[in-house]
Amino acid sequence: MANKASKPTMSRALQRREDVAGYLFMLPSLIFFLGFVVIPMFICIGYSLTDATMHQKAATAFVGFSNFGKLLGDEVFLEALKNTFIIVIVSVPAVAAFSLWVSSAIYKLKGPVLSAFRCIFYLPVVTGSVAVTVVWKWMFDNYTGIINTVLSGAGLIEKNINFLGDSRYALWCIILILFTTSVGQPIVLYVSALGNVDQSLVEAAQVDGATNFQVFWKIKWPQMMPTTLYILVITTINSFQCFALIQLLTQGGSGTNTVMYYIYYTAFKLTEQAGHFGYANAMGVVLAVFIAILSAVQFKLAKEK
Amino acid sequence: MKRSKLMALLLAGSMLLGLAACGGGGTTTPAPEGSKAAEPAQSQAAEPSTAESITLWTYPIGNWGKEAEVKAMTDAFTAETGIKVTVEYLAYADGDDKVNSALSAGNAPDLIMEGPERLVANWGANGHMVPLNDLVDDTDKKEINAAAMAACTNTDGSIYEYPLVMTAHCMAVNLDAFKAAGADQYLDLKTHTWTTENFFKAVDALYAHFGQTVGAVYCAGQGGDQGTRALVNNLYGGTFTNAEHTAYTWDDPKNVQALEKLRDTKGIEFDASLAGGDEIAKFYQGALKMAFCWNIAQQLDPNAAGTGSGKTVTGEEIAFMAFPSEDGNSKLQGGIWGFGIFDNGNEAKIAAAKQFIKYMCDSEHTADAVKTANYFAVRNTAEGNDLSNIWADNPIMAEYNVLMPLLGDYYQVTTNWAQARTSWWTMLQKVGEGADVSEMVAQYAKEAIGG
Amino acid sequence: MKTSDQTLRRLYKVLSVLILILLAFLFIFPLYWIVTGAFKPATDIYAMKPVWWPSEFTGENFVKLLNKRSAPLFQLAIPFSAQFSGTGEPVYFLTGPTVPAAFRWLINTVFMAVTAMILTCITASMAGYALAKKRFRGRGILFSLIICAMALPKQVILIPLLKEMSALGMMNTLWAVIFPTVGWPFGVFLMKQFSESIPGEILEAARVDGSSEIRTFATIVVPMVKPGIGALAIFTFINSWNDYFLQLIMLTSGANYTMPLGVATLQAETSVDMGLLMAGASLAALPIIIVFLIFQKYFTQGITMGAVKG
Repeated sequence: MANKASKPTMSRALQRREDVAGYLFMLPSLIFFLGFVVIPMFICIGYSLTDATMHQKAATAFVGFSNFGKLLGDEVFLEALKNTFIIVIVSVPAVAAFSLWVSSAIYKLKGPVLSAFRCIFYLPVVTGSVAVTVVWKWMFDNYTGIINTVLSGAGLIEKNINFLGDSRYALWCIILILFTTSVGQPIVLYVSALGNVDQSLVEAAQVDGATNFQVFWKIKWPQMMPTTLYILVITTINSFQCFALIQLLTQGGSGTNTVMYYIYYTAFKLTEQAGHFGYANAMGVVLAVFIAILSAVQFKLAKEK
Repeated sequence: MKRSKLMALLLAGSMLLGLAACGGGGTTTPAPEGSKAAEPAQSQAAEPSTAESITLWTYPIGNWGKEAEVKAMTDAFTAETGIKVTVEYLAYADGDDKVNSALSAGNAPDLIMEGPERLVANWGANGHMVPLNDLVDDTDKKEINAAAMAACTNTDGSIYEYPLVMTAHCMAVNLDAFKAAGADQYLDLKTHTWTTENFFKAVDALYAHFGQTVGAVYCAGQGGDQGTRALVNNLYGGTFTNAEHTAYTWDDPKNVQALEKLRDTKGIEFDASLAGGDEIAKFYQGALKMAFCWNIAQQLDPNAAGTGSGKTVTGEEIAFMAFPSEDGNSKLQGGIWGFGIFDNGNEAKIAAAKQFIKYMCDSEHTADAVKTANYFAVRNTAEGNDLSNIWADNPIMAEYNVLMPLLGDYYQVTTNWAQARTSWWTMLQKVGEGADVSEMVAQYAKEAIGG
Repeated sequence: MKTSDQTLRRLYKVLSVLILILLAFLFIFPLYWIVTGAFKPATDIYAMKPVWWPSEFTGENFVKLLNKRSAPLFQLAIPFSAQFSGTGEPVYFLTGPTVPAAFRWLINTVFMAVTAMILTCITASMAGYALAKKRFRGRGILFSLIICAMALPKQVILIPLLKEMSALGMMNTLWAVIFPTVGWPFGVFLMKQFSESIPGEILEAARVDGSSEIRTFATIVVPMVKPGIGALAIFTFINSWNDYFLQLIMLTSGANYTMPLGVATLQAETSVDMGLLMAGASLAALPIIIVFLIFQKYFTQGITMGAVKG
């Protein structure tokens, strides 16, 4: 809105025209966006200030911010919050760096080879989270899993590793699976970004005696900045969608709880806490605030570049 | 000026949408208070009009989890009564979540089949179920096992579950593996019992022979947790709750001793990647040499795989055993299963559901319903039909009867039960990761009590 | 000096190709394991040492999968009839023959993904165009809202969404999964990026010629953002197909399951009958892999064009 002033002011009639047309074009999308994202979000905020439960023993009461106060003292929640951020902080840069490396290694290959590699790295994305998760669970199996068999066959481990049942490994296993399902799109993007780098600049630099490394940092990298930012955004989105992995692999045990899973757990798992909607929604609000800040920061950065 | 007008319009629009959502919710969600008050009056009025169709959600209780078998029974019911039954099959891994989310959305089924720890202690106590007291007359009270009936009754006297079958949960051993390791000498296959001392000797012998995990204290979730509780409690005679079911007692030093001993035994692994069902599967596969999540339905059809009673996948022999205890007299955990009705505020559906329960649990069809579950009937006779001999032709069932006298207290209805079982498996995970046992026990037992 | 530099470069090249091949193998492996697992007989599945290649190819896992549950092939209901039927169930005017439930799940999933795809493409291309090219008031706020909501995991609004769907009578219908997917604002963002590249002069010229807004959109804007719509279509299709969470929450009856949900349910039920699970997983994965391989070219074109504009 700030840059509005710098633009020549439109006539009132024209502005009204733009308003009407703009909102008419937005309307179909807004119905869905407001109806199934924004309004639920407001209801969520409303819930978070109450002691609503699924059991309607007593009338729901307004409890102010006490749910948020309780969250601060809830060790399980704090651990879940920590894990959520570990997942995002580790997987986003790892995905970006890895896909950049793979792309730079393959972008000069011949057409069919290139597209074969691109397809292969994209396969886990299209295989689908549930199918991927189910097969990884089998591969990670503590007793007869293929990974343990290979590792012990190669003499790398003495005793089978309980990948999904040991808090030293479980979270990293989940990050690994998430990683394999996240790199597909960034690789496709980087390959084309590298192909689009202005070759005349690269050649000029090489004539001036720049090393490969310098060419990359000084010339290619700045040109790929928009792509990189876009990749950071979609990978961040992806990292927050790890619910299926947690639910199907560890059910939040072995130190793999995340806020996303804990909300579901608090809402529907059969515990004494089950159906504490007020509390679960308070978690949702906290998570939403963090994510909104994260997204806003990313876009501020994107704008500045 | 224009802008504020547009904003106002937008806001009004969204409010309307929101209101519609809230308003709709008010009409479709039944008010539990009202319907509850109406309940006794309604049930007195004999034979209210019944609905044409009802839904049943069932957990995998023996063959009640298999579509072909259940369909045969519901088809027979439909043929007799004209009431159609739509069945959905739940799994223990996420069945509770599905029921809870359905309850929240006002989409709960009419009938549910499970045990009192869910039907009575949770959904019943929280006001989601219809009391079934009018289905249980004095004759029924005489016929139905008193302990089972007590477990199905809430503290306020409402019966939220009509019990159908019961069993004692036990453990199982891979007999061929035991023989190979020379550990079968520790088993008493006549009484199917053993002592704590012999149990650990057997584990050591098996571990020495096979060099890998013999038994897993599974703790990925609450699935099958009766097995780990019974194991820990019986080893040195600890208890889980007091006899009155008013308090949790698993901070008992005897339980601490058992947990420490299990943790320090090489052949036993605390495995947070397995829940009860996975453990059975690993045992069936031959990876584990003993299973703590066993019962007669498993013995009749291990892993529900249909590959023959009492055999692993490779045909090795499975023997069921009571949990080990110091004197060999262990207390087994009971399992009780039956039907409950969710209060969806529709009297016709409730009436039809009651008809279904009567048909399955108290009629000449009860024998079929019981046999489908692969467990023992909770009653001797149903409307004059003798149920005590329905398994007479089955030697495994007859043999399993030696365990039934060991049936212990059904404490799963103690207050805060849902929290207690969550605390229990979380504690097992922590113990498995090397945390101090007595500290963990104290911390999580307190959490269970605190609720 | 120069030569040693060159050998080093060549060495790096060879090494990176080797690593790439190894990585490619690791990325293919799960899929290989799914497909071979689906055809392994029980003896291979339960073997204590994993079997790398099926000792014999068997269809028994698929037979088991198909026989496990059954459902009507399709059920057409009168819209919103559940609200008025009195029993809380929809009124079906046409019900298909009873078939193995996996077929129905496949039909459900395709219906869900295609519907979500079409709706998203229509709404997002319109909204993206408006955000990029129309200087209406409130645009900045709307766009910020979209940015902030884009990364939001659906678990955050799980309970309100559930209550809303129940109030709208859409619980346990595929619409409850489709609508929130359409509402997710990523598509709008993507289409805005594409629409930015439409030259303002062309739109201005069309306006001067007296072309109506709708006409301009249909004849000028849509053809220009076509690659974007193609990318969004495939993107939404894959996302919707794989959105296990919404399916888990909203769909309660076996006849309404989707393929991913069906497979997840199988896993919950029979945690180690891996042959059965892999048969299910391959049924869930293969259709979409085939779609991807066919449209691969458009896909890579589409996503790259959108991003570079970023």
